[in-house]
Formats: sequence, C-alpha cells, structure tokens
Amino acid sequence: MAEQNIDQEQLNALQEKLRQMSPEELREFQKKQCIFCQIVANKVQSRRIYEDGRVLAILDINPANPGHILLLTKEHYSIMPQLPDDEIAHVFKVAKSLSNSMLKGIDAHGTNVIVANGIAAGQRAQHFMAHIIPRKENDGIIFVLPQKPMEQKEIEAAGDRIIAALSGSAKEEKSEKGASLDEISKLLGAR
Amino acid sequence: MAMKAACLVCQIIENKIPSKKIYEDEFAMAVLDVNGSNPGHCFVMPKNHYPIIEQVPDAEIGRLFNISNRISSAIFESLGAQGTNIFVANGIPAGQTVAHFTINVIPRRENDGINLQWQPKQLSEEEISTVELKLKEQTKNLGFEKDEKAEAEKPRIHVKKPVALSEEEDEYFSRQMRRVP
Repeated sequence: MAEQNIDQEQLNALQEKLRQMSPEELREFQKKQCIFCQIVANKVQSRRIYEDGRVLAILDINPANPGHILLLTKEHYSIMPQLPDDEIAHVFKVAKSLSNSMLKGIDAHGTNVIVANGIAAGQRAQHFMAHIIPRKENDGIIFVLPQKPMEQKEIEAAGDRIIAALSGSAKEEKSEKGASLDEISKLLGAR
Repeated sequence: MAMKAACLVCQIIENKIPSKKIYEDEFAMAVLDVNGSNPGHCFVMPKNHYPIIEQVPDAEIGRLFNISNRISSAIFESLGAQGTNIFVANGIPAGQTVAHFTINVIPRRENDGINLQWQPKQLSEEEISTVELKLKEQTKNLGFEKDEKAEAEKPRIHVKKPVALSEEEDEYFSRQMRRVP
C-alpha cells in the first residue's frame, strides 16, 4: 500500500485532514479503512459464532484463551461513548449470553468482559468491540490492576469532577490536558 | 432486597460501609474505588445481590452498562483521561474477588502501570474448529431478535420485588471457590 511509504510531511497532512473532519466525515473515512467493517460485510473471512441484526461475534485470531470472542457492532463506532443507549444494552445482553455459552459449552470456569476505549487503554482496532475471554485456573493470563497509594483528597476530587460531568455542569472545569472524545477517536483513525 | 449479610458490596449499598457515591438510582449504584488503580476508578453495581453476570436480568444488564458508559464518558471529559476500560471479572479464575456482580470503569493514561493485555495463544486448526463448533452449538438458539421486539413494548424497568436466587445459582460462587486449588 502507498501509505507505507508516506513521509512525515504527508503524515502531518493526513493528521491535519483528520482534525478538520466533522464527526460524520470521520466515521465515513474510518469505516472505509476498517478491517472489522470488512469482516462484518463478509469481505474478510472470520469464524462467526453469533450474529443478529446489530452485532457479530467472531473468534479472535490472537486469542488469550481458546474460545476468546470479539463482539462487534455491525455499525462502525470507534469508541464506546459513541454508541446509542439501546445499542449498548443489546451488545452487553449478547455478551452475557456468550459468557454463559462459554461456561456451558467449553467448560470455562469464569469469563472476563473487557472494553478498551483509546490507545492508552490498550485499544488496537478502530472499531468498537467487547472482548469475552473464557477463563480457567492457572491459564497464564495475568491482568494487573495495581492498588496505588493515593491521597484520599485526590480520590475525592476525582470523584467530584466525575459527578459534575455526569450532571452536565463540568464544562468550565474541563481539563486542558484532556483529549476530547473526538480526538481519542481521531487518534485511532490516524494509526 | 435480596441482600446477603456477608456481602461487602451489599453492605456498601445499604450504607453500612461508607463509600463515595458517584451515581445512584433505584436499582444501581456507582462508587469510587478507594484503593483504585487510578484516581476516578469506579465500581458500578446492581443493588440486588447477583454473584455473576449470568444471574443479572437482561433489563438490568442494559442499564448497568449504560451507566458505566456514562461514567466512562464523564471520566474522559472531566479527568483528562487518555482512555478508559470497562472490565468485568466473572468467577474466581477470572479475578473476581467479591461475590457481587461489579463493572469496573477505569480511567487510563499511557504507562499507568495497569495491564489488561494478554499473550496470544497459538492454537492448532483442530483446537480452533472444536471450540468454534462447541460455541456455535450453544449460541444457535439465542434468539435476541424476538426478545428485542417484546422488550420494546415493555415499560421502563421496575425492580419491584427482591430477586431470589435459586440455591443452585447462589452456590455457584462457593463452588467456584472450592475449585481453586
């Protein structure tokens, strides 16, 4: 592909172009390039486990364990905050059933359901998905959620800001360091 | 309330253990993790006592994950997070430590010491085909399209009566516990 040979200037131009796009234009642009949209459209092969009008569940080709499922929305969304409420409800009801299928069908003793939003969270694809991973004792998977020593004040302050944002009154407090949702989504598109 | 006296989460919900509440409605609560991986790490929990995801009714699943998504968006907006994870550990082998279904919403930054990655396992074609067939056998009758129509006609969710778990369900977690060597 020509893209592999682009120089820094062209990359900057592409990033600038992405920055200029409206959310709708960006979604169209990402959709065209998205391998998972091609899997949904059956243009790229996959092992389909479950499918309905809104979601597709396939086996991950780089599984954490045998039976590791990627649950995709058929519509292209790059991150979870872009999904409408009813889509979220449907995705996770299906995720629950798939988890159950793993306990019943492939002798899993537990499951993990994981969503990564943004590169910093470990997201690699630019298409929203939930990972459903069958687990057994001593299966070699180690998720690290360290418990960091934190000031009680720091935690409380974080909590207050989240509460303010939930109630929609946090506009003026918006962190300057923070990337907006659009930017998080654009960063994925630029990769 | 289908509450378990010994359940830590039920005690938080009943205000017997103090917590910093982020969100509460008639059937769900979100609190801050005080020993969190990052400041702003939240737990989203149903008020009813369900040990694992399989026991949570579909209507509550939809609401709980929508609340988690709202909190995740709020974390992006208000904490300047570079990412968020939605993380559920279901059963002890998956890392579940409290027998009450909980969704973790975790603010993320580059190099923050959290690792939710895995090493891909190399499987033979036979292993992959076997697991594919077994899972398909389980999912062929899921029938969500029908459910969706039925649900669209239903009014808003009400948690009217306590949810009683069957003994079998209730024991799932302790059975899991005994499996651990």
